[in-house]
Amino acid sequence: MFSEQAAPTAQGLLAPPSAKPPTFPRVPVSGYSDCSQPFQLGERSFSRQYAHIYAVRLAGMRPGLEQRARSRWGNDIALRKLSELQAGEKCCVVGTLFKAMQLQPSILQEISEEHNLVPQPPLPKYIQPSDELILEDELQRIKLEGAIDVQRLVTGTILAVYGSEQDDGRFVVEDHCFADLPPALPWNGPTSDRFVLLASGLGLGSVSGDALLSTQLLVDVVTGQLGAEGEQSCAAHIARVILAGNLLSQNTQSRDTINKAKYLTKKTQAASVEAVKMLDEILLQLCTSVPVDVMPGEFDPTNYTLPQQPLHRCMLPLASPYATLHLVTNPYQADLDGVRFLGTSGQNISDIFKYSSMDDYLEILEWTLLAGHISPTAPDTLGCYPFYKSDPFILTECPHVYFCGNAPHFQSKLLQGKEGQQVLLLTVPDFSATQTACLINLRDLTCQPITFSGFGADNED
Amino acid sequence: VTYKWLSYTLGVHVNQAKQMLYDYVERKRKENSGAQLHVTYLVAGNLLQNGHVCHKVAVVREDKLEAMKSKLSTIASVHVYSIQKALLKDSSPLYNTDYDIVKTNLQHCSKFSAIRCAAAVPRTPPDPPRAQTSAQSSQRQRDPDAAGAVNGHGPPAAKAPPQQQRGIMGMFAAKAASKPQDTPKEAKAEAKEAPGVSAASSKAPTKNSIMNNFFGKAAMNKLKVSSVPEQPKEEKEVVKPSVAVAEPESSPNAVVEKPGKKTESARIQQKDMKSKTKRVDRSDDEEERDAENVKKKRKRIKQLQSDSSDEEDMPPSPTPEEERAPSPPPVPALKTELEPASVEVSAGGRKRKRKRVLKSKMFIDEEEGCMGKTG
Repeated sequence: MFSEQAAPTAQGLLAPPSAKPPTFPRVPVSGYSDCSQPFQLGERSFSRQYAHIYAVRLAGMRPGLEQRARSRWGNDIALRKLSELQAGEKCCVVGTLFKAMQLQPSILQEISEEHNLVPQPPLPKYIQPSDELILEDELQRIKLEGAIDVQRLVTGTILAVYGSEQDDGRFVVEDHCFADLPPALPWNGPTSDRFVLLASGLGLGSVSGDALLSTQLLVDVVTGQLGAEGEQSCAAHIARVILAGNLLSQNTQSRDTINKAKYLTKKTQAASVEAVKMLDEILLQLCTSVPVDVMPGEFDPTNYTLPQQPLHRCMLPLASPYATLHLVTNPYQADLDGVRFLGTSGQNISDIFKYSSMDDYLEILEWTLLAGHISPTAPDTLGCYPFYKSDPFILTECPHVYFCGNAPHFQSKLLQGKEGQQVLLLTVPDFSATQTACLINLRDLTCQPITFSGFGADNED
Repeated sequence: VTYKWLSYTLGVHVNQAKQMLYDYVERKRKENSGAQLHVTYLVAGNLLQNGHVCHKVAVVREDKLEAMKSKLSTIASVHVYSIQKALLKDSSPLYNTDYDIVKTNLQHCSKFSAIRCAAAVPRTPPDPPRAQTSAQSSQRQRDPDAAGAVNGHGPPAAKAPPQQQRGIMGMFAAKAASKPQDTPKEAKAEAKEAPGVSAASSKAPTKNSIMNNFFGKAAMNKLKVSSVPEQPKEEKEVVKPSVAVAEPESSPNAVVEKPGKKTESARIQQKDMKSKTKRVDRSDDEEERDAENVKKKRKRIKQLQSDSSDEEDMPPSPTPEEERAPSPPPVPALKTELEPASVEVSAGGRKRKRKRVLKSKMFIDEEEGCMGKTG
């Protein structure tokens, strides 16, 4: 898709210098609007309890779920609150799921001195066969059993269960359903080829410099310096570049100032300073040629809790004068040429990965879309701002492109919804590990990975 | 030599650079000059990988070129990436060359590229936030100063937040603008302070601004005084109006400095007062000297009084004092002392303090000299 056009003139540059070589104008920015206002926090106050998030989440999703339940199990089913349950009656309850996990890292256990426990080392997955599911609503909670996959679900999901209460106080589930895909957005996509490049996990500042040449190649392709004329003209169709998080590598996170004595660390500076300078130079090269959206990630210098606020522009003195640089929040939503993009830097997906038996990032991504919530585990195991008025992570409209960054591999899938929704699900791989980025064609929602490589000591394919 | 390096060095379009490299290789090979050239190529194309069509962009050595080309199902582009004399073990020298040349040309990195983006225009630097400003009219003048200063310091000193620099430079420019006359001394002081500021950018910014407050006010007020006043008065004035100017400014640095300066000056004044009285006691009945001493004493006391009283009255009071000019002989002597002193004052805050003490000492010496002369 990207290179078919280029093929004819592929060998064109293997020739003596010709007359004035052509320069291609970049496709103009049209129809960009940033829709991530719900994720931008103004005044932040952390004096509130987190319980309010669950309350607003339930209140926000309840109507939709009730409607789904009716359409699925019939219009005449009884919708009950937990307090109105009667034993033996088949009814449907809408509530928040809580998974009681034994291995879940708990701060109380950590500080419990009488147990003399060593803090639990981070595990890849915390699931265990003995986990239990509990359904909660505003007032009560009840244990769930039955036809429900305990391992797969995570805390914080709002769902509707259909079953009956037993005498011993447990709820036997016969069926359950999620909010399913939200209503579709109208499609206003462009008619000509427009590409968007998605990359994540640039991992600057890491000790090894393997990925640096690949990063430079990426920048060169996008800015049009690399490639023969055909490829350059194709690159001119790249309308936007989105960097989805983890611009700095994990190595920049360790701070010697905490561990070492002060006199040893007096003259040293944090590794992230050097990395941010490199990032600034790369962004400058990109910004002079293409609009760039920069999303912060897990290791980037911004707040830890979701929604992560944009990186501050004073950290990027070289690149910030350019109007083509956009610093955006972590769950990022925008309208590009009529195509709605929604995505995160991957923290939500990796958190669900840890607490669920689902292994495939694409599967998890799809599941969050079906559950109607970007990050159900948010206050429980993933840091989150204590919202109390509304939960901005609830999906109210179905995006056209739904992506997550920092996935182990590149995966994509075009999901068709029942009501005509069409979503391109995309897991953007970690660039520092795979040297792969994604190119999305906005015209037909196809995407293609693009890999860069230099030659190392051993030339593998 | 990579194509990008060539393009920046010769100032040509990247495609032309690539073609030039190819041409060079061809010619050299034809000549059979014996020097072995190793060429790396860039290959890009489609590749079937993991079940989906993946676009691959790779830098390959010449010997692997054909192998790579055969692996790709469709080739999108092939061109010379770089030429070198030695066989490269890995691609880090290529990366380093490119990195270095791009770093030296950061502002124009898209000049030779094949794609032009109309939207990529740098915004004009906005007015930096002004916490302490005196005149509104100086804003416009300040901006080119500040912008120029920042741009000059930007890339090398990227660590120091540009706002800080702008603030400090802006303060200077503000002082420069608000001054009525533009003397060369001021320009020299500014120039001196500018490298001083940039050199000291690594220091704690507050300390810097304190020092610069010192300079700025010292330089400004040195030259505010148009006529040549007496030495002691001058030194006091330097302190006083600077303190006076510090008052309307809301900067905490200045406030911290003000009591410091005040106490300092008061101390010195006290010392001078004491020395003065001592001298008066010891002095002969020289009319001139006595009158001069008395006058000086008067001036000193007057200054002390006015110092303890409202500082706003200071600026007008020196001028009438000046008119009651002292006798000529001390004046030229003081004048000569003044010139070097003022120049030196603008050079360093610490030096200035030393200078102040030195001045009083000089005063004593001069007094001694006078006394010696007469008695």
